[in-house]
Amino acid sequence: MERVTAPIARRIALAVIAMHAILLPALLYGLYAVVSNSLTEIFIHHVRTLSRNLAVELELGDSLDSPKRLADVLDLAILNGDGIYAELLDDGQSVRSDLNSAGLQWPGRQDYQFTFDDQPAYFIELPIVRSGHAASFRLGFDKRPTLAQIQATKKRICLVLLIYLTIALAVAVRFGFGLARPVIQLQRSARRIASGDYAQSLRLNTGFRELHDLGRDLENMRSALVSVNDQLLREIRDKEAAEDQRAHLEVRLQHRQRLETVGTLAGGVAHEFNNMLLPIVLYTEAALADTGTRADVRGDLREVLASAFRAKEVVEKILRFSSVAGMPELMWIPLEPSVHEALRLFAALVPPTVVVRTRLDSCGRRVRADAGLVIQMIMNLCTNGYQSMDGADGVLTVGLRDEHRSEADGRGLPVGDYVVLTVTDTGQGMDTPTLERIFEPFFTTREVGRGTGLGLSVVHGIAESFGASIFVDSQRGQGTTMQVYFPAEPVAVTRTMELHHD
Amino acid sequence: MTNALIIDDEPAIRSALTRVLQHAGFSVRTAANGNEGLQALQTGETDIVIADIIMPGKNGVETIAAIRAAFPAIRIVAISGGGNFDIAAYKPGSITTTAYLAAAQKAGAHALLTKPFRTQDIIAAINTALNTGFSTGAHESLP
Repeated sequence: MERVTAPIARRIALAVIAMHAILLPALLYGLYAVVSNSLTEIFIHHVRTLSRNLAVELELGDSLDSPKRLADVLDLAILNGDGIYAELLDDGQSVRSDLNSAGLQWPGRQDYQFTFDDQPAYFIELPIVRSGHAASFRLGFDKRPTLAQIQATKKRICLVLLIYLTIALAVAVRFGFGLARPVIQLQRSARRIASGDYAQSLRLNTGFRELHDLGRDLENMRSALVSVNDQLLREIRDKEAAEDQRAHLEVRLQHRQRLETVGTLAGGVAHEFNNMLLPIVLYTEAALADTGTRADVRGDLREVLASAFRAKEVVEKILRFSSVAGMPELMWIPLEPSVHEALRLFAALVPPTVVVRTRLDSCGRRVRADAGLVIQMIMNLCTNGYQSMDGADGVLTVGLRDEHRSEADGRGLPVGDYVVLTVTDTGQGMDTPTLERIFEPFFTTREVGRGTGLGLSVVHGIAESFGASIFVDSQRGQGTTMQVYFPAEPVAVTRTMELHHD
Repeated sequence: MTNALIIDDEPAIRSALTRVLQHAGFSVRTAANGNEGLQALQTGETDIVIADIIMPGKNGVETIAAIRAAFPAIRIVAISGGGNFDIAAYKPGSITTTAYLAAAQKAGAHALLTKPFRTQDIIAAINTALNTGFSTGAHESLP
């Protein structure tokens, strides 16, 4: 893992400086060499050409020879070029131009190279032939203008390189910040996301393709994760809502079962008491009817009779109370949760030979009902269905669907929207006489107070209390379909209720 | 003399009804359940049956249906203990006499009476049953 040392911009700037610290001196040296070589070569070429021309002129000027003429030629060597020294050495005689720089002496050798020393002149010695014998033509040229030019050029190169370095540094710093900015932006976004702000976009506003693509890929990843996260949250919420609803339904069912127990108990007590009161009433009346009974005993017997009738009233009150307490508490509810809850409870009762299926096609319109009673109704219908299979293999299908009845039919259902609960079994089915009586109380049961043993008569009673209607389709050997038509909640009411929720 | 048969599983009710009906001039026999009652009908003359509904063995509703099938001439008064609610008050979970009596009426009873009742009530119910024209016990007689 790389050591963390510096921000991107500083690193790039340092890298540029380090690179130029090596590169720029080399460049400077190279350019300087090229420039000085060129300038010195031009100088040397120029002075040597000039010297050769002068030498030719001296050789050709033999016939015109005179001291005056020689001095003119030597002067000309200085006047025509950059010469600062001119001398002709002929036969031991040295003739120098009067224009020679003061104090400048022949150094005793000619220059072949342009040297950067204290010597102000570049000396050339040309052997020439004068009047048939050898002579030496010595010339000295001023090096200083060339040296000055080289120095000036050197300064300009330095200046240009300095400007270049400054621009390079500025570009590097700018580039560094340009590179760092999206990375910092990404870092900030990542931190905000980490702190729970999942809506933060990771898209980068940058000209760097790789960073732009990276931002786009991260953003795609983020939005995918956010949608997965949202879905998980939704699922958790749905699950919690379903749990709540189930708990609510269980409470409703328990409440309903308690009421049923109270009703059963009250009914049983009433039955026993009334059976005991009847002989009391009849025997007392018989005694009163007996003409032999004494008058004072008659009075006592009338008191017995009055008490018996008061007892009858008490029994009636108890029954009335349990009946009122057992009245369904109707509200607008969807049926589907009750179907699930009923089937969950029913699953514990049903043998493995029976397959339970659901066909829930209703869009969830609500009906006026009591959830506890709906569960009881479905369980009773299912129990009836699987009992009709008589232990054989079979399929029990519980369904919900929406149905609109646009015209009255023979079954007496009013026009309107319905949610229809269906329970279909593949059992033995029923013949017509049986069908006509299945909803009678105690048609199939002989025992008193056997809980839901009231069976289909309870289903019928429950359906009537909801204003729902039951239809049975069955044929012996063909199975049975029970259909409960619940009037659906009017659409306008649904809207109003939703508004209230908001 | 009118011959009455009382079918009730409660001995005290059988004896009390016997007492008042005999006093009213009926010839009375009793049976403790539906099967006994049907046997009794085979062996002697019977004009009117007073039948309880909730009984062990063959219950009152089944007994009444069987009597109507086998002895169409016999009149029947169904009696049962409990409140005196209207059939419309029948709600799931509450056991009401009305429900039983409604079933009894469907099965063919000619008169209905809730326990406890007075002597005059049972005499009136018997008279009603005896004076009712032939009833098929069909469903149209339901309130």
